[in-house]
Amino acid sequence: MSETTSNENDYGFLIDASRCIDCRACLVACSVQNETPMETTRIWIKETGVTGQFPDLERYSAPYHCMHCEDPSCLSACTVGALQKGENGIVTYDQDRCIGCRYCMYACPFQVPNYEWKQQLPLIVKCDMCISRLGEGESEPACAATCPTDAIIFGRKSEMLAEAHRRIEENPGKYIDHVYGEHENGGTATFYVSPAPFEDLGFPSAGEMSPAYSNRLVTHGTPTVAGAVAVGLSSIYLTIKHHEEAMEALKNGSTHEADNAADEETQVAAQEAA
Amino acid sequence: MMIKKIIDEIKSLSVGYYILAVIAAAGMSVAAYRLYAGLGATTNLSKAFPWGIWISFDLSTVAFSGGAFTLAALVYVFHLHDLHPAVRPTVLAGLIGYSSVLLILFMDLGRWDRFYHFLIYPNLNSALFEVSWCIMLYSTILVYELSPALLENSRWSGLIKVVEKWTIPMVIAGVTLSTLHQSSLGTLFVVMSPRVHPLWYSMLLPVFFLISSLAAGLAMVVGGATLSYWIFKRTLPENIVAELGWFIPWILGVYLVLKLGELEITDELHLLFTSGVYSALFITELIIGVVIPIVLFSIKRLRHSRVASLVGALFVLGGVVLNRFNTSWFTIKPVAGQTYAPSWMEVAILIGVAATAVLAYSLIAHYFPLFEETVRVKRQSKVRRELAHTGD
Amino acid sequence: MSSTTITRREFLKIAGASLGALAVGQMLPIKVAEAARRAGMLDINGNGYIPTMCEMCVWRCGVRAKVKDGRVVKLEGNPEHPHSLGHLCARGQSGLMNTYDPDRVLTPLIRVGQRGEGKFREASWEEALDLAASKMQEIKDKYGPEAMVFSSTHNLSQVQFENLLNAYGSPNYGTQRSLCFNAMIVANQMTYGLEEPFRNYDGLKYLILTGRNLMEAISTSETSILSHAIDKGLKVVYIDPRFTKTAAKATDWCAIRPGTDLAFHLALLNVIISEDRYNHDFVEKYTVGFDQLAAEVENYTPEWAAPITDIKADVIRRIAREFSDAAPYAMAHNGWRTSNFENSFQTQRAIACLNALVGNWGIHLLPAAAEGAGLGAPPQPPYPRASAMRLDGVPWKYPLVPFKLGVFQELRDAIIAEQPYKAHGWFIARQNPVQSLPDRNKTLAAMSKMDFIAVVDIFLNDTAWFADVVLPEASYLERYDPLNVVGDLAFIRQPVIQPQGEAKSALWIYKELGKRLGLEDYFQYIDEEDYLRQQLAPLGMTLEEVRQKGYARLSGGSDEVEFTWNTPSGKVELFSGTLDNAGFNALPTWEEPPRPSAGKFYLLTGKVGRHTQFGTQNNQLLRKYQDEPRLWMNPVSAKALGLQDNDLVKVTSAVGEVNIQLWVTQAIRSDCVYLTPGYGHLSKGLTTGYGVGASDSVLHVTFTDPISGSQALTQTFVSVTAA
Ligand SMILES: Nc1nc2c(c(=O)[nH]1)N[C@H]1C(S)=C(S)[C@@H](COP(=O)(O)OP(=O)(O)OC[C@H]3O[C@@H](n4cnc5c(=O)[nH]c(N)nc54)[C@H](O)[C@@H]3O)O[C@H]1N2
Ligand SMILES: Nc1nc2c(c(=O)[nH]1)N[C@H]1C(S)=C(S)[C@@H](COP(=O)(O)OP(=O)(O)OC[C@H]3O[C@@H](n4cnc5c(=O)[nH]c(N)nc54)[C@H](O)[C@@H]3O)O[C@H]1N2
Ligand code: SF4
Ligand code: SF4
Ligand code: SF4
Ligand code: SF4
Ligand code: SF4
Ligand SMILES: [Mo]
Repeated sequence: MSETTSNENDYGFLIDASRCIDCRACLVACSVQNETPMETTRIWIKETGVTGQFPDLERYSAPYHCMHCEDPSCLSACTVGALQKGENGIVTYDQDRCIGCRYCMYACPFQVPNYEWKQQLPLIVKCDMCISRLGEGESEPACAATCPTDAIIFGRKSEMLAEAHRRIEENPGKYIDHVYGEHENGGTATFYVSPAPFEDLGFPSAGEMSPAYSNRLVTHGTPTVAGAVAVGLSSIYLTIKHHEEAMEALKNGSTHEADNAADEETQVAAQEAA
Repeated sequence: MMIKKIIDEIKSLSVGYYILAVIAAAGMSVAAYRLYAGLGATTNLSKAFPWGIWISFDLSTVAFSGGAFTLAALVYVFHLHDLHPAVRPTVLAGLIGYSSVLLILFMDLGRWDRFYHFLIYPNLNSALFEVSWCIMLYSTILVYELSPALLENSRWSGLIKVVEKWTIPMVIAGVTLSTLHQSSLGTLFVVMSPRVHPLWYSMLLPVFFLISSLAAGLAMVVGGATLSYWIFKRTLPENIVAELGWFIPWILGVYLVLKLGELEITDELHLLFTSGVYSALFITELIIGVVIPIVLFSIKRLRHSRVASLVGALFVLGGVVLNRFNTSWFTIKPVAGQTYAPSWMEVAILIGVAATAVLAYSLIAHYFPLFEETVRVKRQSKVRRELAHTGD
Repeated sequence: MSSTTITRREFLKIAGASLGALAVGQMLPIKVAEAARRAGMLDINGNGYIPTMCEMCVWRCGVRAKVKDGRVVKLEGNPEHPHSLGHLCARGQSGLMNTYDPDRVLTPLIRVGQRGEGKFREASWEEALDLAASKMQEIKDKYGPEAMVFSSTHNLSQVQFENLLNAYGSPNYGTQRSLCFNAMIVANQMTYGLEEPFRNYDGLKYLILTGRNLMEAISTSETSILSHAIDKGLKVVYIDPRFTKTAAKATDWCAIRPGTDLAFHLALLNVIISEDRYNHDFVEKYTVGFDQLAAEVENYTPEWAAPITDIKADVIRRIAREFSDAAPYAMAHNGWRTSNFENSFQTQRAIACLNALVGNWGIHLLPAAAEGAGLGAPPQPPYPRASAMRLDGVPWKYPLVPFKLGVFQELRDAIIAEQPYKAHGWFIARQNPVQSLPDRNKTLAAMSKMDFIAVVDIFLNDTAWFADVVLPEASYLERYDPLNVVGDLAFIRQPVIQPQGEAKSALWIYKELGKRLGLEDYFQYIDEEDYLRQQLAPLGMTLEEVRQKGYARLSGGSDEVEFTWNTPSGKVELFSGTLDNAGFNALPTWEEPPRPSAGKFYLLTGKVGRHTQFGTQNNQLLRKYQDEPRLWMNPVSAKALGLQDNDLVKVTSAVGEVNIQLWVTQAIRSDCVYLTPGYGHLSKGLTTGYGVGASDSVLHVTFTDPISGSQALTQTFVSVTAA
């Protein structure tokens, strides 16, 4: 039903809000790695801000970037198929295809795709797990590699998920009992653990089913609907026409001519409907 | 000689044309600047609101232009030939409406230089892909449908026969395409479920959009008939307008039942009263666009009154506009306190495009036989009349 | 703001601009790519990784620089370097933009307008160096070498900077040390006979951080190690009037009253001694003065400290007990900049004593490797004797301040006072005293006294803005520096790209200046590579090997920890005879710090994770959303003053005032305000940084601890009103 393509070679991230110190090293690393200016980065920091009453205060942060959903909404949306799910579960962006309709920005439940607003001919900016970097033989994306506190780690998706659960189980009371990203939007490849509720960090609550699924239900129904409409219209047309001609013939006493005309048009309409 | 003739011709046009031309030119200059400078420099769009007034405008205009396919279906498929005189003006309105939509969509594309990519890079899952193709094909069909009017007094008039031979299949294709893209515009928002307010979000959005576009289409024909009566002193037989109006409560009734029913089934009906501004917007939309027209068009006397049916049509259209703006803008869940209001350039471009559209319509109406009843009224059979009256 | 921001396309363009360098003097510009290729670091296409070192701050993490087509495209933390452990902080990651910053000064500049007007003309190295040397010579001839002031902040070529000033013969040398860590260093010297021990977190169970904001004032490895240690269960007590990002990770955050850290630590000592919780073995064997210390702290009970510090007595007692329970796996961090009050030296002494009492020496505190040990150096003749008194009062006013540390702020004040004599010239390298010294107006006044000012920097920083000659150094990615020893490894900084424009290494600049000053004999190296070869000579390693590997291993260095210390007694001196002899308190003793009068606030300063001091605010990769610094204020105080979040306020101290927006936050005590340093630049040569925020240096009043010579920034009190 859903077009999920999760397999054991998929990569994933584990991000731990208890470790992040909001130093932005990951942001800068990503900017340099992917040659994007800071204004339009592929990665941001979400934070709770300072919460509580002096002196009982708390503060948490975590970076966020594309979740690399199993069933990506952005991919469903993209007019020209510029967003694709590639090897290792990476959701890639083909900047040479993009027409800049920004539908993906609205479609992504995590509001991930960013846009080069200041450019004359702007492109979408979105994390691609540093696919080219991995291709050059580096073992980790730039953000994970540089993080001084290892708040972001990278590896096989299944291992990341297992580690997320391990951290929650082995540190009772430390984390909220929820691995964000495990089920959100139908499952993703980016898992978060956090001592603070995810709403407080500013994470959107996303359903357990990707809207990409509903979208497919509708769009895949389209050819059928189209066919049905065309056939329906043709039948209505022909029925009425025959009816009219019959009446006409009755009136004129001659049916020959009308029959021919009707036949001709029947064929045309039928062809069109097909 | 030729040039002088043209100048004289231009001089002969009334001042209204000039005003329109100036507004259009101003708007187009802003549009050119927009294409040059990019979206960030000219619009108030942002990461939180990547779509703005342009998309809302497009959605509304497409719904309005539904008049063309509704009428074409009625005349050609349902053989309501009495409506035939309305075909050309309505198809022209549709064509100009769609052209405006295409123009604004072009403005809206960050990479307008690659507008043709949707032709070569398909994504069959994408509602926007489907919409793009449908609008393109349908615009072509509208040109086709309109071509007899354009060819009529030219030396190509011989072609009219060829064109007419294929009218029926073309109309059927056009209506099919319209059904598709009118509904697909609703589908656009299906994948946006996290951003669209639950009062508007539904898996049935495509159905809602289609039904409301039918209503809007009928309203356009009804309202257009009255307007053209006043402005151009031409009209359709009054009873036909009333007959069309008769359909409106039914269509809107189905719409209302589906909308509320869907909310009930998804257990969201309570949102109708608990969502503050959103509740107000939703209820306003339904009252203006659905409840009032249902009442107006259910009353036979009002249906037969030009003024009342025009008012009714305007309510329908107002409701549809509000619905499209609500779905695509007003009720989009804001992100961290960010809001969106269009920049003056966004508005100026819209006004420019609107002015261009009106100008184009007027000029074509001025120079081409838009209201001449040149097409043979085919068979005026009693049968059809009977059919058309079964509703009363 | 946006117009000066580099866009994606420009980013590529700038990164692609690699300007040819011009040969001046004897040293030829290094054909970096070619050499690297020969060394096997780059492939035939000029792509590959070159090991070097970060210099976005003083920590100097190991870097693997990724080079593509003769451009550096990415910096990675070098996993082989103990300071980076494979990571880089945000500043380290942004190093590329430090090098490719469009505001880089790439040719020598000579002032043409009024000083401070910012009007310069480009000049050749010949002309600029000739001018600088002739001015310096003139001052020396006319007023003696002491009339020339030298100042520079810790960096790798500093040995040659010091070589230049010593050869020139000036005793007047200003460094960042008295602005930074004098209190810590002097206290360690008095107690342990060393400057700063190496801190080992392995197995640590309990840590007290006194204003050491490790999660924001980042040293990559220490930050990383601390983070992992916390994850493994390390208990952290964090003492700061401000809820910093370190406070957010700590087990306990004590929002202490500024300047009372001493009272807190004295109370810890009191509990540990009175409850007999100290390490008898260590104290008996390796310390002197325990009894005196015990007597001194007898009355410093938690109950005594509570009203002073605003930390509850039972909390202090609990911390003391937990700390000693964890012993010897406990550590009181001595911090760097725990020099906020004139009594901070005593705080540092108390911290040093606390560590001794739990006996963590050899476990968590270790002797640090001596700088440069085992490396060779170019030969040089002895320096001329500087006979003049030092302007900074060492030692005649500050008897215990080591010559090496000095008292920079005092030096500046002496320039203004022209006492004991008048200074006429100032040579500044890799330093920004206009911002880093307290009381900016005073610093500007001192500069206006000068006949001549030369600055070696890579940007037109606020100090260079007032210079007569600006000598552009090659950035750290474009040059060699002397080797840097960490543990038993000597790491290399080597060029990964060719210097842009005319920029030159400091090694080259100092040598060329020396040559023109007739001091050629002091600079016996042909070029930078030759300098490094001479350093490596005793190790029997070739430069090529080291360039490829990134480091050389030093011989020797036993793993055994020494239990004798370089103090007069050879032991850890809880009671310091040296201090006693100099007439200071020989034991950590309570000294009441001043408090702000009603309606005034303590002005706190402190680093932020994304910037280094006053030098990175122009870096486009470090500037992002919501970066405009605001004045932190507690809602209680804001309410009392009728102020609201984001209000523009005027902050006034005894020496200056600034306007700045307010940030109303719970994260600070109600008697404090905080302002991020490093903003409010004067130099319009910093197109990204200029016009952002306000400078806290304008507000800071100059206070100096008489023992260590440290400045005391938090002793500045300010009033805040609506602007
Ligand atoms: N990101 C970044 N990292 C850096 C640097 C940088 O510029 N940027 N600089 C490096 C350098 S040179 C140094 S010296 C270190 C300095 O690093 P730290 O030693 O951590 O020093 P600061 O950040 O200056 O100040 C730390 C804290 O002292 C608090 N404070 C002020 N007054 C008092 C007081 O009276 N008592 C107590 N307990 N706390 C007080 C302030 O609120 C501030 O949070 O950082 C190094 N690391
Ligand atoms: N108000 C306030 N004052 C403070 C502090 C504070 O927290 N608040 N902190 C204090 C502390 S801890 C310290 S250590 C001092 C630091 O005081 P400074 O050392 O004076 O300050 P920095 O900003 O580190 O200055 C470094 C200069 O080096 C330049 N530079 C960068 N790279 C290179 C290079 O490759 N070559 C050359 N030649 N120049 C280069 C930069 O442009 C910058 O101008 O400030 C102290 N003063
Ligand atoms: S680098 Fe690590 S600690 Fe720093 S902001 Fe990113 S995730 Fe957080
Ligand atoms: S997080 Fe958003 S952009 Fe990334 S794959 Fe999922 S839907 Fe697409
Ligand atoms: S903006 Fe580009 S990537 Fe996003 S949906 Fe449109 S074409 Fe696809
Ligand atoms: S994986 Fe790469 S592209 Fe994605 S956020 Fe991290 S650094 Fe950026
Ligand atoms: S701590 Fe950061 S800025 Fe300092 S040397 Fe390391 S990476 Fe560079
Ligand atoms: Mo420092």
